[in-house]
Amino acid sequence: MVPDISQPRWTIWLSDHPLVVLGSVLVVLVLVTGVIEPNYLSVSGLRNTVLLAAPLGIMAGAQTILMLTGGIDLSVGMIATAAAYVAANQSPNGALIAITLGLLVGVAAGTVNGIGVGVFQVNPLIMTLAMSSILIGLFTALSFTVLQGSTTVNDFISTLGGGSFLGNRIPYNALVWTGVSLLIVYGLRYTGFGRLLYALGDNPVATRLAGVRSWQVLIVAYALAGLLAALAGILLAGRTGAVDLQLAVNFLLPSVAAAVIGGTSIFGGIGTYSGTVLGALILGVLATMLTFLNAGQAIQQIVYGSIVLGLAWLYARVTGVS
Amino acid sequence: MTTARLGSVRDVDWRVALRRYGWNTGVWLLLIALLVFYASTIPSFGSFQIASIAKNSLPLVFLAIAQAVIVIAGGIDLAVGSMLILSNAVAAQLMDEQAFGITLMVAVLVILMAAALNGAVGWVISVSKVPDIVVTLATLFIIAGLALLVLPSPGGGTSDGFRALFTGSATGTGTNFWPALVMLFVPMLGAAWWMKHSRTGLSLYATGSDPTAAYLSGVNTARAKIVSYAVGGAFAAMGGLASLAITGSGESRFATASNFTLKSVAAIVLGGVALTGGIGSVVGAAAAGIVLFVLSPVLSAMGVDPNTAQVIQGALIVLVMMIAGIVQLRRERAA
Repeated sequence: MVPDISQPRWTIWLSDHPLVVLGSVLVVLVLVTGVIEPNYLSVSGLRNTVLLAAPLGIMAGAQTILMLTGGIDLSVGMIATAAAYVAANQSPNGALIAITLGLLVGVAAGTVNGIGVGVFQVNPLIMTLAMSSILIGLFTALSFTVLQGSTTVNDFISTLGGGSFLGNRIPYNALVWTGVSLLIVYGLRYTGFGRLLYALGDNPVATRLAGVRSWQVLIVAYALAGLLAALAGILLAGRTGAVDLQLAVNFLLPSVAAAVIGGTSIFGGIGTYSGTVLGALILGVLATMLTFLNAGQAIQQIVYGSIVLGLAWLYARVTGVS
Repeated sequence: MTTARLGSVRDVDWRVALRRYGWNTGVWLLLIALLVFYASTIPSFGSFQIASIAKNSLPLVFLAIAQAVIVIAGGIDLAVGSMLILSNAVAAQLMDEQAFGITLMVAVLVILMAAALNGAVGWVISVSKVPDIVVTLATLFIIAGLALLVLPSPGGGTSDGFRALFTGSATGTGTNFWPALVMLFVPMLGAAWWMKHSRTGLSLYATGSDPTAAYLSGVNTARAKIVSYAVGGAFAAMGGLASLAITGSGESRFATASNFTLKSVAAIVLGGVALTGGIGSVVGAAAAGIVLFVLSPVLSAMGVDPNTAQVIQGALIVLVMMIAGIVQLRRERAA
């Protein structure tokens, strides 16, 4: 964007460094939570927040990739749940098989989404919404027949999703999240595929005229999103230890919110995964804070919504980018 | 030469008419086909079934109209479902054990409250320049939280007369289908007329189609945004009142809110409203809302279990959208 000369210097500097704004918000939230509950400012307190934020951050990664192309995935919650369900069901057969099959479910659902959006030009909102309702019906039916049996995950998955190492300091799922984050950040910045995602969101017509087969890019993007959602679902199942068909449903809107707070434009072409990571951490701290405040669900929802709105407003003001 | 020109002009006119009304007509034909099919599968199709379909599709139809008005004006409201449960909760609390006259006054108040609240949301969007989808994602939570504060657990109630107003009977089930049909068609046709013929309604189409062009031709686009959200809020409140009349008590579950929002988006897209704004009609969206509702009794009449029915419903929506996508693609290639 062209800097407005009438703006004070510091807003121009901030608009060039949006992550600083987010980082400051995160620090302030952590400190406020620390004031509310002094024990929070400790290794175990912060560990809990990361434990909470990791699956959300990975799911928001799926959302970020798709929002960059101008799309969105409203089926991440159900894909995650479906993957976790399959992983739990296959747990007696060993962690490797369980995780692989779980991830495959995500890739399959994501690929179908991608075919719908990329080849048949179905609006992403509708395509993924329908996928979500298909998965709910399918897995409710399957849970009485083929997928009857284990609804608890095996030890490896529960350690991966809920355990910690280095004397109970660093959660394993944070390790997974870090790995995924590095891959996504690298992929978006330095690979041709990453640049195609930005190009497609910025100007689909120009991208097509430049000789890009958009449908192929979209199918891969949606399949990747499905894979990430499935991974998040399996980690979540590991944290809770058991699965049900409501497991990840409540993560859908926060996953969009995390990406939005992180500065990814819902219209495509603008955004970074590092912003989304901060967004997921902010939401994680917020959830912890509200738990400490003993706020009922109603108050939690109101505060949660107000902060998403407030941050988005602040962000739009400071950066001039919506 | 002259005849050829005349022929081509008529040809174009026909195409314009098809493009303008084709989708709409298609949705209504789909609805009629579904109803005829439904009537032929069940042993007896009579006034009870008509009343049941008409009244039970009311909440979704009102939400579809709400979403259609907002999307046509260039926005999208993910919080219509929350507005439905908030109105439902407030009305259930205030109407409990009250006489018919008071419940009617409460209903009007609730509709005005929802319109004012959602108008404020529209104002926030136009002032903050934050995208609609982000603001309403936030208000989806905020408004649902308010609903939960008003009505922490399912309960409350309404008067018998108020139930009869929407459903045709004091108990909510019966064979008198006229009230439900009137409730279905009068607000729908009213909204459709207002959108297509009033100055404000047309300004919504103009704003949704091209905000810059609309602004430059003297349309107050900020006002159009606020009005569209206020009208949407009022219709969402109608949905909440209708579901109160159907069940006889209120509930404020977040799952209900998000579910209704998602269905309202599916309904308007199926009803031919373009998510980019400026294209489509309230009538098409309402028809699609009924179609989405009628699918479940039709599938259950065919002996499909509810879970499989949900899979089929989702697949059908995708299928319809895929066909629409191909049609659109061919039209673009031809043009």
